[in-house]
Amino acid sequence: MSNPARVTIRKLPTDVRGLDDIMGGGIPEFSFNIIAGMPGCGKTTLAHQIVFANATPKQPALYFTVLGEPALKMLRYQQQYSFFDEAKLGQAIRFSNLGDLLLEKDLNAVLEEIIRQVTAAKPKIVVVDSFRTAVRKAFSGTSEVEMQSFIQRLSQFLTSWQATTFLVGEYAVEEIRDNPVFTFVDGIFWLSQVAERNSVVRKLQIMKLRGQASVPGLHTIRISDSGVQAFSRTLGLNRSKTKTMRPRRLSCGIAELDKMLGGGILEGDSCLVAGPSGTGKSALATQFIAEGLRHGEPGIVVIFEERPHGYLQRAASFGLNLRTAQEEGTLETLYLRPLDLSVDETMQEILDAITRVGAKRLVIDSLVGFEMALAPGFRADFRESLYRMIGALTGAGVTILSTVEIEDSFTSLQFSHYAISFLTDDIIRLRYVEIDGQLRKVMVVVKMRGGNHSKDIREYVITNKGVVIIHPRRTDYTGLTTGIPQQTGPRKTQEDEAAPEAKATT
Amino acid sequence: MSQASLKMRHLAKRLSVFECRAGTASEAKVPPAFEVFEKLRAYLGTFTGSKGICELVSCALPRARAEIPWLGAVHVKADGALEGLEELGAKHNRDELFEGGIVMVAQLLGLLVAFIGQSLTLRFLREVWPEVPLDDLAISGGDENENTE
Repeated sequence: MSNPARVTIRKLPTDVRGLDDIMGGGIPEFSFNIIAGMPGCGKTTLAHQIVFANATPKQPALYFTVLGEPALKMLRYQQQYSFFDEAKLGQAIRFSNLGDLLLEKDLNAVLEEIIRQVTAAKPKIVVVDSFRTAVRKAFSGTSEVEMQSFIQRLSQFLTSWQATTFLVGEYAVEEIRDNPVFTFVDGIFWLSQVAERNSVVRKLQIMKLRGQASVPGLHTIRISDSGVQAFSRTLGLNRSKTKTMRPRRLSCGIAELDKMLGGGILEGDSCLVAGPSGTGKSALATQFIAEGLRHGEPGIVVIFEERPHGYLQRAASFGLNLRTAQEEGTLETLYLRPLDLSVDETMQEILDAITRVGAKRLVIDSLVGFEMALAPGFRADFRESLYRMIGALTGAGVTILSTVEIEDSFTSLQFSHYAISFLTDDIIRLRYVEIDGQLRKVMVVVKMRGGNHSKDIREYVITNKGVVIIHPRRTDYTGLTTGIPQQTGPRKTQEDEAAPEAKATT
Repeated sequence: MSQASLKMRHLAKRLSVFECRAGTASEAKVPPAFEVFEKLRAYLGTFTGSKGICELVSCALPRARAEIPWLGAVHVKADGALEGLEELGAKHNRDELFEGGIVMVAQLLGLLVAFIGQSLTLRFLREVWPEVPLDDLAISGGDENENTE
């Protein structure tokens, strides 16, 4: 005998970007939920967004206000958001103020009125805002049992009438344990905000959701003209396709470096170029993206320290025409200096751009700039979020080249001040060395996860063609990695170099 | 106190003319000239509650009095309804009452437009009076909001 079919719980869309992903697909139909948090977190805006997304004249939403913000005042502000559709007011979305009933009678009268209106309208969504104010007023001095009984009756009635319900209320975290409403509800949407220095960090947590798996933890939210937007900690990348089994080698636009890399960077790798200021990290990254464009691979360049115009102009000085690709839509240059964005929001911008152009290559120039551009409160999450994004993108086959600035020590070879091994498959280290009375530059491939690579330390210059590797490995010096090598072989005769590097003009 | 704008007066007049012709009386016993006000008050009350509509009407009434001094005999009740309207019928002729009703509604609409904007105000009016054509009144022209100074 076959097993009887389980009930299928349909999911309602929230119309809040990112929230359906966080909730595991949407709001469970007929669920009884609470949207809680301190004032100013976006509770009412979130409730309105859900209401506007789901209400229709046939399946309307009833929005009850009780002693909180009057609906007229809500509408004054909510109409500023792009989700607000005034055509839905009246037929699809019906506001009702129950404050008078509560003041003149009691919560039973409120419940009766809710029952009367729900029975008449058969709504798809019911909101009670602010539930906490109503309950506190009604049950001041009465027993907890009475309050539990009221909440239970309300919950049972609304669920029986197949309404998906949201109670909106201002609660403090410490109330969760003792307040019976949190026991009865099927879902708890907890919103919070913390001001840190010059920025405000808003977070959302799905503390409870019966019947389906949500993404745990705190997720950044932002309230913009579009209303509430949520940024899932998974960045919606759980469903990304996995890396191809036999990845190609991608040229980085510098033939000698490709040889050092065993034929190029493996497709889907995350490659870190680390070095001090002026060693050509950005130039190398530009050559990498330009080479991809030459092979029909769209790209994204994310810059934090240089403006797009300057970036494109500098690329042009290396003979790399990125402007045309940008005009054709195969390249996007993102200049991100938000200063109060979360890392997840920033990454969402990058992901959106990747989707827009179908990018195969991504340059992040630089990780230090990226971190600095974030609000201080978000920097703690930086490496974790970066790890998630890099993992998901490379898993989907995007090849990432990131730069990181590090100070050269003249006693040892530091790779980065980040713990980078988990972030990167490949590491190319650039550094200054003192040779024959000159401050020259050398590079070495430190690590390549997917294959063998050259162990040579190679000298390079930056010319009007970009980074150019100029010499085979040196066998007449030792200690190149310290920056102050010792000469071990006979001194090679060399011509005086008036200008060893034809400085690129911008 | 500012006079009700011409746009609001036109709007109030159209609604009042419709009500007078239709003769649909609200539950409250008010002179026909104040029928529009009464229906609008009842509708807005569902959004604002008694206290909210009481405050809105309390703000509109002194403005209306500045134009129609005999409205000084009218007072606002806790639910926003006007007290003393029935007595006015004996003291003023139909035209005077009609004008008083229009000014009162125009002032209320002016406050509403200042608060929630023209678009949403029209939306509300269409909910209450779906049969009354309002598109040609072009209240959306000119300033975005009513000047409530």
